[in-house]
Amino acid sequence: MAFFKRFESTIDNGIGRRRFGYIVLGLIILFFLWFPNDSSQSNYAKTVFISGFFYAIMASSWALLAGIAGQFSFGHMAFMGIGAYVAGLIARDGIIFAMLGIAISPESISAIGAIIIGTLIAGLVGLVIGWLLLRLRSAYLALFTIAFSELFRIMMLTEYDYTGGSNGLSLRPLLQIADVDAARQVEYYLMFGLLIVCLLVMHWVANSPIGLFLRAMREDEDAASALGVNVVRYKILIFVFTSMIVGLAGAVFYSDVGSERIIPEQLEVLQMSLIIAYAVIGGMESLVGAAAGAFISRYLLEATREVVIALPFGLTMSDGSGAFVWETGAWRYALFGVIMVFTLRYMRNGLLHPIITWFSGRDLVMQETVSKRKSDDDYDDLLEAGDE
Amino acid sequence: MSNINLAVNRVSKRFGGNQAVDHVSFSVTKPELIGMIGPNGAGKTTLTNVMSGMTKPTSGAIYLNGKRIDGHPAYDVTRAGLGRTFQITRALGRMTVLENMMVPGLAHQPGASRSNLEERAREILALLTIEHLTNEYSRALSGGQRKLLELGRLLMLEPSVIILDEPFAGVHPRLQETIYQYIHRVHEDGKAIILISHDMGAVFELSQRLLVLHHGALIADGAPQDVKSDPAVIEAYLGHDEED
Repeated sequence: MAFFKRFESTIDNGIGRRRFGYIVLGLIILFFLWFPNDSSQSNYAKTVFISGFFYAIMASSWALLAGIAGQFSFGHMAFMGIGAYVAGLIARDGIIFAMLGIAISPESISAIGAIIIGTLIAGLVGLVIGWLLLRLRSAYLALFTIAFSELFRIMMLTEYDYTGGSNGLSLRPLLQIADVDAARQVEYYLMFGLLIVCLLVMHWVANSPIGLFLRAMREDEDAASALGVNVVRYKILIFVFTSMIVGLAGAVFYSDVGSERIIPEQLEVLQMSLIIAYAVIGGMESLVGAAAGAFISRYLLEATREVVIALPFGLTMSDGSGAFVWETGAWRYALFGVIMVFTLRYMRNGLLHPIITWFSGRDLVMQETVSKRKSDDDYDDLLEAGDE
Repeated sequence: MSNINLAVNRVSKRFGGNQAVDHVSFSVTKPELIGMIGPNGAGKTTLTNVMSGMTKPTSGAIYLNGKRIDGHPAYDVTRAGLGRTFQITRALGRMTVLENMMVPGLAHQPGASRSNLEERAREILALLTIEHLTNEYSRALSGGQRKLLELGRLLMLEPSVIILDEPFAGVHPRLQETIYQYIHRVHEDGKAIILISHDMGAVFELSQRLLVLHHGALIADGAPQDVKSDPAVIEAYLGHDEED
């Protein structure tokens, strides 16, 4: 504790917490840039990281929608699925164009073109749902998006001829690299780059006047409206924006970057629950917190697939080994549930909140207010004593 | 007619079988300071909600600076120049005091420089004696400080008509004095103010004209001394004497 106090004082008197925070962030980014170049890392480890980046986009965009704007949607995975499925269907048989009566050969559409169209369609569906629902309070949005997600999943499951049903749909590969190792490396950087770009854009939105209005309507819609904020407009805007972000993430990830096909199982409510859990654990009101929460959680879920427990007192298993290997299966999700309950009970702003607060210097502001209040009170006491 | 800021013409609001506001008509000219009183359930807050666009009227018309505003959404009414506070303060809790001030500032002047708006916000906070709380979350403020913050947010909107709903309720006497000074200053700046309060001392001291609501209807509209002796007002407040 004394060491931490000394360290804190050195930072406060030196470069300051914010600058120190940027340095730490820079080092973390450098680590992620270096990681795939480490020859000791397997392709599996890189795949886990790619999946972590994808879920970090999902969780941070949900944090923007629910944690910052206060719109509790359960449709995030569905919009991700819309982006991926539309990109897949467009590039495979151009069904969307056929429905719109546009004569375009699917072969003429590149993977990037399909991803862009998938992203736009996710935004368009978000606009329709937002226009219909976001005039209502958030409980209706939550209920509707649960129903919408399930309907969409069932559609994808049952329309076998188009979507491949439970076998899933392969999208046109975004990269054409024959060498597996090289391909994995490029896919890693692609997904990491997408995460950084998404975080930067979302950070810009959250810190713009729009972000201020979003937070105001999260706190109190009526008060925000009475202060001149067009609440419905900004609700729809952020819903469409986050729908496009996850639509893009889905279309890229399933274009053989993180996974070779999108399956309806990915759209289950359980998957959506995991996104919410990642954001809650990391910190719903912080984009970086939610992204870090998702990445670390994904990593831990993979790392705890198999837990090796060394046996004490020289005990051995029947096969002669001195360790018990526990295939955790679904039990790791139970552990995850315990962490989430702990977070909600004791650290509602997420496990990373104390770190983010420290770097932002908010505790210093609070200390300053308390000391100013104290001096105000002392001054009042002095005046009152003088009156007497 | 041209200096009428707010005109309320036969406005009614009905909730099911409850006639909350009953054909109320009055106008506010610049710079008037009007008190609005009435027993609990008289319809003061409902009328405020109707005027500010939070609730649509069942019938009637409202004009603000010549523009018809009844049925318009609240943000539109606010941008047209009518600002209001709430009976129960609605500070944006998980936002700092400065951010609370910036919301109306940026909503009212989207193209304005952020640093200029921040400077203006700090000036207003200094006027309201809460500048030392600028970077504090508003949920950490006391009830009285939240009232002051609401008043500050109104000034960021630069409205022509201000409705203050119970500004003195539950406020420490020292902060009440600050609110008094605020009302005087804003009035001197040429804004029309409608003051709703159960604090009769404050209402009679500050108001140039009084409106009295009872069962949703406007039963008196005149100078405070005239209203004080109005038999209908006395009956509304003290009740009907059965021997009469």
